[in-house]
Amino acid sequence: MSANIARATGEHVMIVAIAVVVAILIGVPLGVWAARRARAGGAALRVVDAIQTIPSLALFGFLIPIPFIGGIGMRTAIVALILYSLLPVVRNTVTGIRGVEPSVREAGVAMGFTPRQLLFEVELPLAMPSIVAGVRIATVTAIGVATIAAAIGGGGLGTLIFRGVAMVDTRLILAGALPAAALALIADVVMTMIERRLIR
Amino acid sequence: MPASIEFRGVSVDGILHDLDLRIGAGEAVAFIGRSGAGKTTSLRLINGLATPSRGTLLIDGAAPRDFIPLRRRTGYIIQGSGLFPHRTVYENVATLPRLLKWDEDKSRDDAKRLLDQLGLPFEKFATRYPRSLSGGEQQRVGIARAIIARPEILLCDEPFGALDPIVRRELQDAFTAIREERNATIVFVTHDLAEAMRVAERVIVFDQGRIVADTAARELPRHDAPAVRALVAAASLPS
Amino acid sequence: MKRLWLVVLLFACSKQPIVVGSKNFTESDILGELVAQKLEASRCTVDRRLHMGGSLICDAAIASGSLDAYVEYSGTALTAILHQPATTDRGAVDRTVTAAYAKRSLRWGPNLGFNNTFAMIVRRDYAQQHGLRAISDLRKVQSEVRPGFGYEFVERPDGWPGLIGRYHLDVAAPPKTMDLGLTYKALAAGEIDLIAGNSTDGLIDSLGLVALADDLHYFPPYDAAVVARTDIDRKCSGASAALASLASTIDDATMRRLNYEVDGKKRDVAEVVREFLSAPRGGGKP
Repeated sequence: MSANIARATGEHVMIVAIAVVVAILIGVPLGVWAARRARAGGAALRVVDAIQTIPSLALFGFLIPIPFIGGIGMRTAIVALILYSLLPVVRNTVTGIRGVEPSVREAGVAMGFTPRQLLFEVELPLAMPSIVAGVRIATVTAIGVATIAAAIGGGGLGTLIFRGVAMVDTRLILAGALPAAALALIADVVMTMIERRLIR
Repeated sequence: MPASIEFRGVSVDGILHDLDLRIGAGEAVAFIGRSGAGKTTSLRLINGLATPSRGTLLIDGAAPRDFIPLRRRTGYIIQGSGLFPHRTVYENVATLPRLLKWDEDKSRDDAKRLLDQLGLPFEKFATRYPRSLSGGEQQRVGIARAIIARPEILLCDEPFGALDPIVRRELQDAFTAIREERNATIVFVTHDLAEAMRVAERVIVFDQGRIVADTAARELPRHDAPAVRALVAAASLPS
Repeated sequence: MKRLWLVVLLFACSKQPIVVGSKNFTESDILGELVAQKLEASRCTVDRRLHMGGSLICDAAIASGSLDAYVEYSGTALTAILHQPATTDRGAVDRTVTAAYAKRSLRWGPNLGFNNTFAMIVRRDYAQQHGLRAISDLRKVQSEVRPGFGYEFVERPDGWPGLIGRYHLDVAAPPKTMDLGLTYKALAAGEIDLIAGNSTDGLIDSLGLVALADDLHYFPPYDAAVVARTDIDRKCSGASAALASLASTIDDATMRRLNYEVDGKKRDVAEVVREFLSAPRGGGKP
């Protein structure tokens, strides 16, 4: 049993980690792009927002018949989790970048920063607390949503929960639910510490 | 080497109308006028933060095509200082040297000398963050940051506007002391006539997007344009 | 006027809805709907809770009174619910289950007339490629076969754990688990190689799949029977009689056909059951 829990936890951590990292790699640049453009940026935010409103089980289900990224198993689960993690990351990136004081941004431009230098020297460092908060929200949410991945063969702690529900076995349910809750708690605490460090 | 600035028939829709102005290398000029008169916009045209809808801007006789290299040779001081909150005082001052890849020791020495001159002893202030400084102290750092790389042009947009009168006076004095040794063409925007006369030799008065007066500073109280008279009266200068 | 309201109230009270459930796969839904429509034909009000969950969930529900009736399989009742050792003696299974259920205030029966045993299913080309005809043959592919099951089969003692024990299979890959319905898709798509389906499933042929023979007779019989609370007539007087009339009304072939109508032809469960009930008896095909 403990071997099962250990393996399920490992799978769970892995799919969440991969999904959140990819969500950051897509979401932060997308957020930077959206922050600069009022209309297109607003549209992008609305799309990402809409994805979040889809109930997780339904989203997993939608993805199954799609070729390449679909099917049953971990890959589909990761794709669904990436989509779910995008909103907090993108939204917080936009907020963070738009939250940079106009006078600070102007000072940078006036000093002759290229747009790239401005982004990396001024905007991103100042937006970092907000972005990390977004990553934190995404991670904690993903840990919860990942339990649904078991419904489509994605593995993770949800497997134990679903099995426990099918067998009306509270021990099995807890064997899945408690580690998941613990993971979410740990992620939240660790990331909050990082955020505090950044706000200095 | 300081640069010359020339406006030829420059207009910005709704703000400036057909501006003609020549500023010689090394001159210190004040732009003055009411809010919305066009003085700040004119200033911002010089480093490309604003774009003209008509006309030409010439720096050292040539129209700049890429403003980024020009901006690295231009100092820009604004109200509120615009210091980078996530960088220390020293890091703020050394921003341009770092960008220009100066020698680390040279940056340090120059920053130290400047900050000491501006009344912010290096040992006490170098590692502090802007939010722990008063408004006046922040602006001194802003001045240091703008002039450390010996710019050809120094643009100041009401830099002392948000400070109380005593601090403002101190900063005006510090500014004039410093600029004497740093050879730059200075354009100083202000709505305070007394300040204009203190920091510049030549005063240009804007009203409704046009220049209505362009005289030596000490001649200003005797000028007869209505806009100028109004300014002088409002400033209640000793004659 | 007041007396009329009283009568209506009493009348309403005497006809409490009978709650009919089913497990979360097509056949169970069809049988649950069948029970529901039979009860409604006897003027009972029925509250349907179809596709509710697995066997254990339905059992917990009926034991606690949240459910009044559903269709269970004798082998499942014997091993998964009553935790008795499996046996292939059909009579013994029936007797044991009937007696044990009676002690729980539940009536076991009548048998509907078909046996739906677990079928270990693989793709037809996979079976041909590796020469698989019976479950014992899985030993040939035990190091690479990728099993995938629903949550119940992988946990039940009469499911996967018992199977690999009895057949001495050392399957290298741990089974993937997913929603039961998805296992067929995953098998057909080649994402897994072995599933535990039902012998009366409608899609086995149409998806190019084949069931392996249970050569060691590991699985007990799974005769489908109605399970109902013994006090069900209190909710509706004609209930037990209606349920009894379902005895031996469906054989293996008929169940497979009904499953195919829903799974293969994507027809509505209630419609298929209505059609079945109105057709002439004798198992004739329309």
